[in-house]
Amino acid sequence: MKKLLAHLVWAALAVLAAFCLGGIALNRGEPINSIWLVMAASCTYVLGFRFYAKFLAARVMALNDQRATPAERLRDGLDFEPTNKWIVFGHHFAAIAGPGPLVGPVLAAQFGYLPGTLWIIIGAVLGGAVQDFLILFCSMRRDGKTLGEMAREEIGKVGGLTALLTVLCIMIILLAVVALVVVNALRGSPWATFTIAATMPIALFMGLYLRYWRPGKVLEVSVIGFVLVIASIFGGKAVAQSAALAPWFTLSSMGLAIAIILYGYLSSALPVWLFLAPRDYLSTFVKLGVVLMLGLGILFVRPDLQLPAFTRFVDGTGPIFAGKIFPFCFITIACGAISGFHSLISSGTTPKMIAREWHAWPVGYGSMLLESFVAIMAMIAACVLQPGVYFAVNSPAGVVGATPAAAVATISSWGFPVTVGDMETLARTVGEETLFSRTGGAPSLALGMAHIFARTGGGQAVISFWYHFAIMFEALFILTIISAGTRVGRFMLQDLLAHVHRPLGRSNWLPGMLSTSAVIVLAWGYFLYQGVRDPLGGINSLWPLFGIANQLLAAMALCVGTTILIKMHGARYMWITLAPLAWLVLVTFTAGWQKIFSPLPAVGFLAQADKLQTALDAGAVAAAKAAETQALIFNARLDAVVCGIFLVLVATVLTDSIRVWAGILRGTREATVREAPFVLSQLRTEEL
Amino acid sequence: MSRLRRLGRLLVGLLRELADESAYGRHLAARGCAPSGEEWRRFSEKRLRAKYARPKCC
Repeated sequence: MKKLLAHLVWAALAVLAAFCLGGIALNRGEPINSIWLVMAASCTYVLGFRFYAKFLAARVMALNDQRATPAERLRDGLDFEPTNKWIVFGHHFAAIAGPGPLVGPVLAAQFGYLPGTLWIIIGAVLGGAVQDFLILFCSMRRDGKTLGEMAREEIGKVGGLTALLTVLCIMIILLAVVALVVVNALRGSPWATFTIAATMPIALFMGLYLRYWRPGKVLEVSVIGFVLVIASIFGGKAVAQSAALAPWFTLSSMGLAIAIILYGYLSSALPVWLFLAPRDYLSTFVKLGVVLMLGLGILFVRPDLQLPAFTRFVDGTGPIFAGKIFPFCFITIACGAISGFHSLISSGTTPKMIAREWHAWPVGYGSMLLESFVAIMAMIAACVLQPGVYFAVNSPAGVVGATPAAAVATISSWGFPVTVGDMETLARTVGEETLFSRTGGAPSLALGMAHIFARTGGGQAVISFWYHFAIMFEALFILTIISAGTRVGRFMLQDLLAHVHRPLGRSNWLPGMLSTSAVIVLAWGYFLYQGVRDPLGGINSLWPLFGIANQLLAAMALCVGTTILIKMHGARYMWITLAPLAWLVLVTFTAGWQKIFSPLPAVGFLAQADKLQTALDAGAVAAAKAAETQALIFNARLDAVVCGIFLVLVATVLTDSIRVWAGILRGTREATVREAPFVLSQLRTEEL
Repeated sequence: MSRLRRLGRLLVGLLRELADESAYGRHLAARGCAPSGEEWRRFSEKRLRAKYARPKCC
């Protein structure tokens, strides 16, 4: 009887999921309530977790709680420590949640809410969560080995080296693109710029407090830091209203780019305890708090989505980024559906904290579902804006026109009416000078979040506070990623250079440290500079590059996963990773090919370079703009080369993997599963 | 009520883990020493060096 009841509950949930997915897919012509998206996503996640993930855990991975995990066997109280599963869940989620699931869906909303939403839900259940879970399992069974180490062991030396190079290249593009998001959010905004600038002395104060005044009191100093950051938001308002102070904090895109490049260099060279660590603690707590607040806000307000299911830009003529739904929707939204970067976290700290093997089920699979839900919330926040406002904020001036009148005329002609008056009123309400062409996704996400938060209480009177709170939240953790990413990039570069000159590999050798930091900062700084100078706003070229790179890393992780599955079970379960792998290879290679070779200048880097070159040769470019045009031509060709490098790197790993798979399946290659030997767990429940 | 208390304990546990305070507690227990500025500096240098050598997610 109990079993029958359980079957009926699950069947009802499946019907509800199908009903909600059908509802959002078939609705046309009138606004749909956001609760449909929430229900469709939640029901699908629960079903995926209960049935698909449990099948993976029980049948494919054969998780066994009797088997001691590395956390128990190699327990050292530092990295290896058996930890309560919900604490590991929160820790893992905090580590995988970055700006990607927030920004990607906002940009992809240019196609309408439907394509992105379906990709986020389906991609996470069948791809992203599977990848995270499987890599976590593989690493857990191999004493917490990293993805690179597993690639080297399971596929070969080429795989290991390629993984390292790919991660380094992705880091550089990632840092440039997220820095560009911050530049576009802070440009010409003294309020936002002051607030973010104030977080730096706050972080230094926190670092000194923790080091000398109250050692070890991280939670205490984080509360103090949070109060100071909130005070700085109010301070920012006063600065913006001050005729004397406002000009000091009103920076151009180039000014902000230079400031962020200097920040990246200094913060990666400063002692980690002084700046990066306190900032990271604060940013992690703010991030988790805001995600929770946004979830509760959406449930409380249940706003209607104003963007349609599909927009006219499914044909590839979108103003935010050019290209059709296939493949560009699937590379624009990476982290909310499947992200290669997660495989680095799943093979990093997390496997060293798992106390029992079955805990990997909620931690690996469940955390990714929560990350996917964050992406759904970002999609909702973007779609609650009026379409005309959404496009006015996110479209670059190079596409819609440099003046407000030109921009609203262009956007209204697309069928999304908006007036200069609407935009001026909105800008005044949130305390900004203008909201036109604030590309990058962060300002429109902040507008959507402010709209939701303000409706939970306070109304229009507090919307400017919430807008700047949201900008502070986004910029705070993006800048933390820039500091940490620059440092990690430096370590990777030092690892590589140590083969050439041994002292360069020592992380405490000052000349090596300063020079490698400079190389990494200059690398991402150049792409940032290029994005700032791009008349199309930079996001159009940099975000697809980042998306392609991130998905290619996911393809690499799935290659490792497939190899291990074949070694464990032969061909029986290889479809589990081969299906998402085939999709990713199809998507990323199509996107990469189109970004390099498409004859449309808005899409293809080479066509864009050719168009500019032709204009230059024909004398159609003013003499004063000739040098700038030359730089744009060089940048477009450089982007094409970078994209080509990504494709070659992954084609190398894919070919190498296929060779290994074929060898194992034919029986010409040894199929050794390199798991750590079985040791009976002695861990007692009360220890957790 | 006891469930709420358990949830609260879990939340504090998560915050302490994210803040490295739990790891510091384990470090002190393993070395059998009392909390001090010197010990915290020793712990945090080792901990943070390892933490920021790993990529942060996007």
